[in-house]
Amino acid sequence: MPEAAAVGSGPLLALEAVTKRFPGVTALDAVDLSVAPGRVHALVGENGAGKSTLLKIVAGAQRPDAGKLLLAGREVRFAAPRDALKAGVTVMYQELSLVPQLSAEANIFLGMEPERRGVLDRRTARARAQDALRALGAEFDPGILASDLSVAEQQLVELARALVRDARLIALDEPTAALSQVEAGRLFEQVRGLCGRGIAVIFVSHRLEEVRRIAEDVTVLRDGRRVFSSRIAAVSDAELIRHMVGRDVEYARLNAAAAPAAVPRLEVRGLTRRGHFTDVSLALRRGEIVGLAGLVGAGRTEVARCVAGADRSDGGTMLLSGAPYRPRSPREAIRRGVVYLPEDRKTQGLVLGMSVRENVTLATLERYSRRGVIRRRTEREAAARETAAVDLRPPEIEREAGTLSGGNQQKVVLAKWLLADADVLIFDEPTRGVDVATKVDLHRQVRALADAGKAILVISSELPEILALADRIVVMREGRVAGALEAAGATAERVLELALPGAHAA
Amino acid sequence: MRAPRLARFGVPLVLAGLVVVSGILIPGFMSRSNLTTILLHVSINGIITLGAVYVIITAGIDLSVGSIVGFAGVLTAATLTSGAVLHLLGPVGAAVLAGVVGVAAGAAVGLLNGGVVAWLGVAPFIVTLATMTAARGAARLVTGGIPVGYPDPSDPMQAQKIAALNALHTVGGGRLPMPGLPTGFPVPALVMLAIVALGGFVLVRTRFGRHVYAVGGNEEASRLSGVAVGRVKLATYVISGACAGVAAVLLVGQLRSGGPDAGMLYELNAIAAAVIGGTSLFGGIGTAWGALTGALLIGVLNNGLDLLGVPSFWQEIAKGVIILLAVLFDVWMKKADARRRAQAGRAAAGG
Repeated sequence: MPEAAAVGSGPLLALEAVTKRFPGVTALDAVDLSVAPGRVHALVGENGAGKSTLLKIVAGAQRPDAGKLLLAGREVRFAAPRDALKAGVTVMYQELSLVPQLSAEANIFLGMEPERRGVLDRRTARARAQDALRALGAEFDPGILASDLSVAEQQLVELARALVRDARLIALDEPTAALSQVEAGRLFEQVRGLCGRGIAVIFVSHRLEEVRRIAEDVTVLRDGRRVFSSRIAAVSDAELIRHMVGRDVEYARLNAAAAPAAVPRLEVRGLTRRGHFTDVSLALRRGEIVGLAGLVGAGRTEVARCVAGADRSDGGTMLLSGAPYRPRSPREAIRRGVVYLPEDRKTQGLVLGMSVRENVTLATLERYSRRGVIRRRTEREAAARETAAVDLRPPEIEREAGTLSGGNQQKVVLAKWLLADADVLIFDEPTRGVDVATKVDLHRQVRALADAGKAILVISSELPEILALADRIVVMREGRVAGALEAAGATAERVLELALPGAHAA
Repeated sequence: MRAPRLARFGVPLVLAGLVVVSGILIPGFMSRSNLTTILLHVSINGIITLGAVYVIITAGIDLSVGSIVGFAGVLTAATLTSGAVLHLLGPVGAAVLAGVVGVAAGAAVGLLNGGVVAWLGVAPFIVTLATMTAARGAARLVTGGIPVGYPDPSDPMQAQKIAALNALHTVGGGRLPMPGLPTGFPVPALVMLAIVALGGFVLVRTRFGRHVYAVGGNEEASRLSGVAVGRVKLATYVISGACAGVAAVLLVGQLRSGGPDAGMLYELNAIAAAVIGGTSLFGGIGTAWGALTGALLIGVLNNGLDLLGVPSFWQEIAKGVIILLAVLFDVWMKKADARRRAQAGRAAAGG
């Protein structure tokens, strides 16, 4: 890092007590961070720890509610991503932000196209794009369409974009998630090259092994707080994991009232959906809650969607009470009693513009209609009964679903499926965006459903939730089942070890 | 909840205001005969708009309805004046069959639209743009480009053909005697009111109607809830096509002929009326009542400006401005709605 030191002895980027609140949650709580020029600073933490919010604030996509950002010692306020780019700060998001219909070169200069007398200066653009790409070891022509490039190549385009803008800080959000090992290795070489030019790098990753390979410094975020910062050489994986899972909130363990049925209600054998998950097997028994743990992107939601008929699988078999089960649509799955409560209630669970009543009866309307005409009184009664059963507060069934809080929205979705007499319920992140009191309430309801004889699968990225709720825990990693644990022997550390790719915790 | 609060009352209020102001400013506007004339003039557009509202609630669009009016119209007229049919069924029977043919032809084009949209996943705009062009071409092909219907004096079946045309005219141009209305009540207006009432009932009170709103409000949530999204979409295009078919039959009856160029730009008038009536092009929001008020608003405006002697070019400009205002209003309502929702969400989360 020869020249880098000359820039100044202090950090290139410093966050001081940065706080960001969203309705109902504090995403970042007085977070400090200090990133030195010419070094790679890893940012680790569980899902929802606040990493993406932090990146968005660095990128100018969101503004902090309190605290300040210092760039090379001077306070900066980014009103928009444009300001951050001008100041030399580039963020490469996991979903790359290239325009697929434009060439690599056009993408590199998007928003700052070189012009001569108002006309695009294509020769200069081509030359500079070529220089930047060559500096990154890219072997493709700048004229190629972005959509024709591999993910690894597209990342190089993004990095080249940062280079032509004279970036001083580059933040990478899970850059290796979609890369092969070889590609990841090449990317690391380029990242090191960037550091050699004195550029500071923020590297967000789940993979501790990678973090160890590339980063000099590490910061752990948990529940929106910075809980740990250190030089990476000075800390073990086990210690990092402990910082990641240590929690202030613990939920009371909810045990089953009786032993589950012996015969599985749902059995999944070797289920595969190409490009999403491979050879997944699990069994759900009546009276039992199975937790499906894993990192975001491990394939848990994809498995759930296949089981619920929302997507098709490519291989494997499923059995419902021993009978073959291969749903071609959610309709068919619902008819067989299998339902899915999606993670994103707003876009998949509810029709926000409709009332609670209309949402609750959406899946069962034929029961409340005669020759296609809705019997309004019976519909109202059913909706009122079922919303009372899930303890919707306030119990206003004519209220528009979009105006409800997250917890109440979840209850409306639940009421819909209880009304449909579903007995295999798949909850995907059931308490995301829900306040703690409602969380506990929902946990109790889920347990009560299991005790009433339903078979339940709970997907959750929140380890305490899985640990409190599940009778058995199946852990997925990179599209495969990494292991299964009985609730009795499960600890957060043990689950995370299985979930993290390449972790070698003691 | 079907429509944001303001939209639900805003358009009827504007319409009422417009009627009152016109009544004061324009002599003759408030006469019963003028008011029934407005209803008559509105009826074709009102019927097509009702169908358009179904499609637009699912976040679709149907550009083919104008061409369907032409296509279904020439088939109606051809059936009505076909020698074989007249021999077999007589003039009244031919009129009935012609009506069925017209509506069925419209529904068939709608079935094609809906099938491609729902099962092949092509954007509704493109699909219906294609059938708009093709149906117009088919209408011209069938007729050789000239209107069909009124027989030559040399035609040996001239009398029967005229009788058949007159039979259908009792629907398309007929008047129902009504106390206090010397001119009687125009039959097409009656048809429109009946269709709007039925259409409104289906939207609000039936399972299918509920599914139409659900699909437009959130297609993925509807699918995951077991709603047969494809079938629902398909049905809305069939309804839209059938409504255009009804309009075609009324038009043939009224004019006593079916022209291949009939119905030009009717699709845009219908979309305009739907939007003015509070139907959201984003889907999920719209009512039959809105279709009626939207069509009436345009009708009243045209009539008032006519009576005032405003040149038609200015009328077009006025209509354009009103459409733009209606869409701005829609966008504005959406934003207000989102704000209200966010506030309610915050309140719920905080408390």
